[in-house]
Amino acid sequence: MPDPAISIHNVTKTYPIPFRKEIVVAVKNLSLDVEPGQVYGLLGPNGSGKSTTMKIVLGLVRPTSGKTEIFGRSSTEVESREDVGFLPENPYFYKFLTGEETIQFYGKICGLSGAKLRERTKELLALVGLENAAKRRIGGYSKGMLQRIGLAQALVQEPRLLVLDEPTAGVDPAGSREIRDLILDFKKRGLTVLLCSHLLSQVQEICDRIGILHEGVLVREGRLDELISIQNQTELILENASPELLAVIAREASAGGARLVEQRKPQTTLEQYFLDVTGGRK
Amino acid sequence: MNATKHITFSPARIAAIASNTLLELVRLKVFYFMLIFALLLIGSSAFMVRFTFQQQFQVLKDVSLGAMSIFTWLLATLSTAMLLPKDIEDRTLYTILAKPVPRLEYLLGKLLGVLAMLAIALVFMSALFLVVLYWREQIVLAETARTTAPEELDAALREVRGLTFNINLLPGIGFIYLKAAVVAAMTLLLSTFASSWIFTVIVSVMMYVIGHVQPIAREYWLGAIPGGTVASPVLKILLGLIAVVFPDFQLFNLVDDIVVGNAVSAVMFMKTAGLGFGYVFIYTLVGYLMFANKEL
Repeated sequence: MPDPAISIHNVTKTYPIPFRKEIVVAVKNLSLDVEPGQVYGLLGPNGSGKSTTMKIVLGLVRPTSGKTEIFGRSSTEVESREDVGFLPENPYFYKFLTGEETIQFYGKICGLSGAKLRERTKELLALVGLENAAKRRIGGYSKGMLQRIGLAQALVQEPRLLVLDEPTAGVDPAGSREIRDLILDFKKRGLTVLLCSHLLSQVQEICDRIGILHEGVLVREGRLDELISIQNQTELILENASPELLAVIAREASAGGARLVEQRKPQTTLEQYFLDVTGGRK
Repeated sequence: MNATKHITFSPARIAAIASNTLLELVRLKVFYFMLIFALLLIGSSAFMVRFTFQQQFQVLKDVSLGAMSIFTWLLATLSTAMLLPKDIEDRTLYTILAKPVPRLEYLLGKLLGVLAMLAIALVFMSALFLVVLYWREQIVLAETARTTAPEELDAALREVRGLTFNINLLPGIGFIYLKAAVVAAMTLLLSTFASSWIFTVIVSVMMYVIGHVQPIAREYWLGAIPGGTVASPVLKILLGLIAVVFPDFQLFNLVDDIVVGNAVSAVMFMKTAGLGFGYVFIYTLVGYLMFANKEL
């Protein structure tokens, strides 16, 4: 059995309030596993402990008690970060560097150099669609471009785990769709993704499993399809059904002891409609 | 599987962070300071025509070495103070430390980047200073050759040359660099726990001032100077502690003696250099210990 990509055991994190005897509990007795290859959504309102949990997993913050592991290695070991790529919320990076220099810098601190680094930089710029902006300074990048260069730097050392904090925050619908497609592509390639997002519709589209944090406590956790499906209802979608056929179905359902709860036209999403109208980016 | 294998301590990673820090400072245009230095040097030269040549060389060395000392101090304080808070504010620090980069390497990279910038600045200022010194020397030599009797010419030219370039200027410039390096390491230590870069700058400036006045206070309280007083044992311990925490920056001002023609003995040179490197090492080590436990 392979080690979980992320393993969190009974983690609690408290912060003392300066000059007072009180403490703030950011995360309380949290335990969860993220299996390799999963896209895991960590959800919760602001201040629920999502970012603190991510920082503990990445070794940026020490837990008050409990422990976290990445592919079986403690998060407190620097080596555990060989397998992690991280994109923080609203990253700025170094404005004085170009997109290409940014990826090269992150590549160098991960031990890449020479032709291998140049090749990897080119590959990543192509992956996130920034080849044409490679020589431009980051200071002139749009929000969506910053997120994409952020994804590229996160992937530079070919990690097995990606930790993404609000990767589509402040990005327009087309850019948001592109980032979503990239995450789905990472999933296809077998990468594990831990995703924090307020965009629940997007989480629903891409996550296999979710955990909901509220005031530092994990209140729900499980497979997304199991958590949100209504167990005693069934959805039928028919194409070109006549009113007579629908009437027959309703009658038969009633005769069989079932109740027709709702009959309506399926709708597309507002995002899809917007992209159809504006032509999207792709 | 990732493309790299982790190395516990990697000079290549430190070099990457150091060169990135240097590039940041270069692109932030900190070297515009050099223009002010050049203007100061050229401006002071213009006022010297009324002085005797002895005074001219004295003033030129005083102004140049004094300005080099102030500019490197300002560069060391201001550029170091903003590095860490800026990385935290922009969240770039998270992206770097989320990679397999030990915090010690990050801190060393930042410090070495600043030290490289200071070295470039000092080399530029020294070169400019020496060029101006040489230029003034040539003018005075020509003037001396024109106005001095042939039998006294050799002695007169030797006197002029003796007052211009002196090999002791080089260790003097070295001490200016070492002093700036101590200030940079001290400021970096402060920035590991300071809440803002303004706080870091203010405390760093205060420590710099205390470092300059503490030897005078120490001598006064220990009764080493006339009119001074003899301190109580508690005060002596306190003075000892201050002497350990705050470097005696007056020790690095050997350049003042060099300007008036005094040579620096090898023992004095080694002692001062050892002290400077010792402070850089200790400040960096304490800075690392603070930074290693910092909650980000």
